[in-house]
Amino acid sequence: METQKKKKVKPSKVLDYLKHDDPFSKGVAFCPGCGLELLLRFIPQVLGNDIVITGTPSCSAPVLLGQNKQSWHTLSYFGTLMTGAAANATGLVRYYRKAGIDNTVVCFNGDGTAADIGFGNLSGAAERNEPFIYICYDNEGYMNTGVQKSGTTPFGATTTTTPYGAVSKGKNLRRMNLALKMAMHKIPYTATATLSNLADLAKKLLKAKEAKERGFAFLHVFAPCPTGWGADPAHTIEICRRAVKTNYFPLWEAENGKIRMTQTVKKPKPVKNYTELIKKFSRLTDEDHEVLQDDVDYEYCILGGLSVLESECRLPEEAPTHEAKGESR
Amino acid sequence: MNTTTTDQDKATGIKVVTGNAAAAIAAKLARPDVVAAYPITPQTEVIEKISQFHASGEMDCELITVEGENSAMNSVMAASLAGGRVFTASSSWGLVFMYDAVLAVAGARAPVVMVNVNRETPGIIAVSSGQQDMISTRDSGWIFLVAETCQEVLDLVLQAYRLAEDHDIQLPVMVHYDGFYLSYLSEGVQIPSQEEADKFLSVLETQPKRTVLHPGEKLGVGSHGILGGYLELRHKHLAAMERSKAKFDSIDREFAEQFGRSWGGQLELYRTEDADVVLVGSGSMCGTIKTVIDEYRDSGIKVGLVKIRMYRPFPSEAMVEALQGLKAAGVVDRSLAFGFKGGPIYLELKAFETRMNGTRLLSFIDGIANTDITKTNVAQMIDQTIDLAEGKQVPEVTWVSYPQANDPEDA
Amino acid sequence: MPKNQYFNHEGPWSDATGPLMCTDTGDWRTKRPVVDAERCIFCGFCAIYCPIQVVQMKGESHFEADLGFCKGCGICAQECPKNAISMVSEEEFQS
Repeated sequence: METQKKKKVKPSKVLDYLKHDDPFSKGVAFCPGCGLELLLRFIPQVLGNDIVITGTPSCSAPVLLGQNKQSWHTLSYFGTLMTGAAANATGLVRYYRKAGIDNTVVCFNGDGTAADIGFGNLSGAAERNEPFIYICYDNEGYMNTGVQKSGTTPFGATTTTTPYGAVSKGKNLRRMNLALKMAMHKIPYTATATLSNLADLAKKLLKAKEAKERGFAFLHVFAPCPTGWGADPAHTIEICRRAVKTNYFPLWEAENGKIRMTQTVKKPKPVKNYTELIKKFSRLTDEDHEVLQDDVDYEYCILGGLSVLESECRLPEEAPTHEAKGESR
Repeated sequence: MNTTTTDQDKATGIKVVTGNAAAAIAAKLARPDVVAAYPITPQTEVIEKISQFHASGEMDCELITVEGENSAMNSVMAASLAGGRVFTASSSWGLVFMYDAVLAVAGARAPVVMVNVNRETPGIIAVSSGQQDMISTRDSGWIFLVAETCQEVLDLVLQAYRLAEDHDIQLPVMVHYDGFYLSYLSEGVQIPSQEEADKFLSVLETQPKRTVLHPGEKLGVGSHGILGGYLELRHKHLAAMERSKAKFDSIDREFAEQFGRSWGGQLELYRTEDADVVLVGSGSMCGTIKTVIDEYRDSGIKVGLVKIRMYRPFPSEAMVEALQGLKAAGVVDRSLAFGFKGGPIYLELKAFETRMNGTRLLSFIDGIANTDITKTNVAQMIDQTIDLAEGKQVPEVTWVSYPQANDPEDA
Repeated sequence: MPKNQYFNHEGPWSDATGPLMCTDTGDWRTKRPVVDAERCIFCGFCAIYCPIQVVQMKGESHFEADLGFCKGCGICAQECPKNAISMVSEEEFQS
């Protein structure tokens, strides 16, 4: 029969990175097509089930944190406040270090915690080079409370606190480049990643795990929210792909602040190619798109410039770190 | 003041140190695993001392020099729930800035120990002493202890670990002492040896282990309390608070057996045995009050002091026992309770008035923003309380250092 | 001491020593992914991109979603490079 002769290809190499069980219950209450759900299930399959994960009030909390004595997953977790997430993770790793307990603490937060209310202690933990992995899943706003604007909400996006009206037309400010800010702390590892490029994400997770032996590792993962953004749930991965291909969300990494592009897009598509899939951008005019495009180009230019610094400035192979002086804490 | 240390003092372990240094030394003696440090006047010396101990190798702890008080509390909370012994210190605005985490620590039943160096907190800028920070955070679910002297600061911090980490309690404990009056006051303090401190705390090691968060264990903390689950945990918390009263008394007795110093547990009663009237106070003011009481006693006037050492949980039973059958009691507050004219501690005692067999209560507000509670002020408070006992007309609330407030027309 | 009924500990601890909590998310579905085994080339994209990670290899034939939990988001159909998966209304399966 034909079926026995059908052409087979090598299965996706992403599967090779999934070395551990998915510790989550199969039925958890994330919306259909949720980027966060894929990310949450992906992380422990790559990093192992012995991570300690911290979670804050957000869409992740109803699943990360238990209900009374029962859990949704088998990971060790720490439920914490948005204000102090990185400080909580700090307390965990410091005690584990004192007690000689091997650990991989993953401080898992949305952009509301990472870029807004918890940025102070995120920056503080990075400055102190605390040895844990901080992952920001960026859905560009407060999706759990019903889609409000955050520091990473892009120009032109409508949210319930940046609605479209006669006077104001969506968010009229640019989004903050959180990952770049974090890289400028010269921490051992910073990276951006997204769900369309899962092999890249897996590699970066493993690099982060290795880097946290030297200190702070920060991962900024672009994770669309079809419900909050007004997108077809089937398009979650396609949105990520287009975000990369338009340079709206470039993929890069930085070791000790030295930036390297991990994927360069030869002919970037106009940003409209990305926004057209998402209802929160549906009111953007051509002029608005120009503003957004300028912003994307500008950000990318700065990033590109920084990524070639090495050749321009002859950066040393290894950036100066505290470890070089033999300080252990 | 005598600031030299005699040979005899050296032999007995007495050193002249500030309240802040006493707190830092006590923390060192408790051997915490993790300490979070952030400066604020008048607490700064505590974390400076600890940083010195850490730098010199005298203190083997993880020292987290956080970027704000909120992170101080959040980091020690997590370290505590992971299994560590922890310490931090703050004051006024710092305590307020960590308040969300203060509440979280209590609800998570993390046995955090900290000192709070009492200072004012309103938007009227006042780098000065007062207990408004303690009052503003009193319903956080923490155990609050209050020290009168530098020696008591040291002793209370050690006792706080016994109380916080006791398997029957598992609650955070905050040791309060007055900023400026105690924080910077140098007094002779008997400092236990490390062996003595270890011995006092070693009882904890014989108890069952509390639940802690270790990697790889299918266990998590910070679960949602859903309906009955939430109520169950709140009730457990309240029950542990109630147990902590008797526990604190017994820890005080054990401390006395080992160190020869007893402070009386929940309350210290000073010359109250046959008293007609008493003042109720807390913190550093009690030294002055005791001096004035001695003078009154010398002239045959039967007056005493009830000193609050445990403020949360409120020592209701002990207080009723101490006050019942007296003619009158004057309650001295170093803070305000907005919505009421009387001071906060006075208002709390009013709730038990019917159980006191006729003891009448008066409210005195003094010592706010470093206004000294002088001997003259104390004498005025005692006199007014005696007037009430003798049936004279006395205003319910008196601002001792601001007579303008007592004008009925002004109210 | 108060009894343990909703929690096994003094504080808000949950554990996963017993069965995990689970929601019948399959009930949410309005469309179900139907795989044309003929077209499947075993690339596994449907499996890696499935947000609930319930797409599994079905023997030597093709990949298939666990319909007990599949929410019907349609990502597998969208991402399949051979268009081997189509989303079919649940009404068609009611008998």
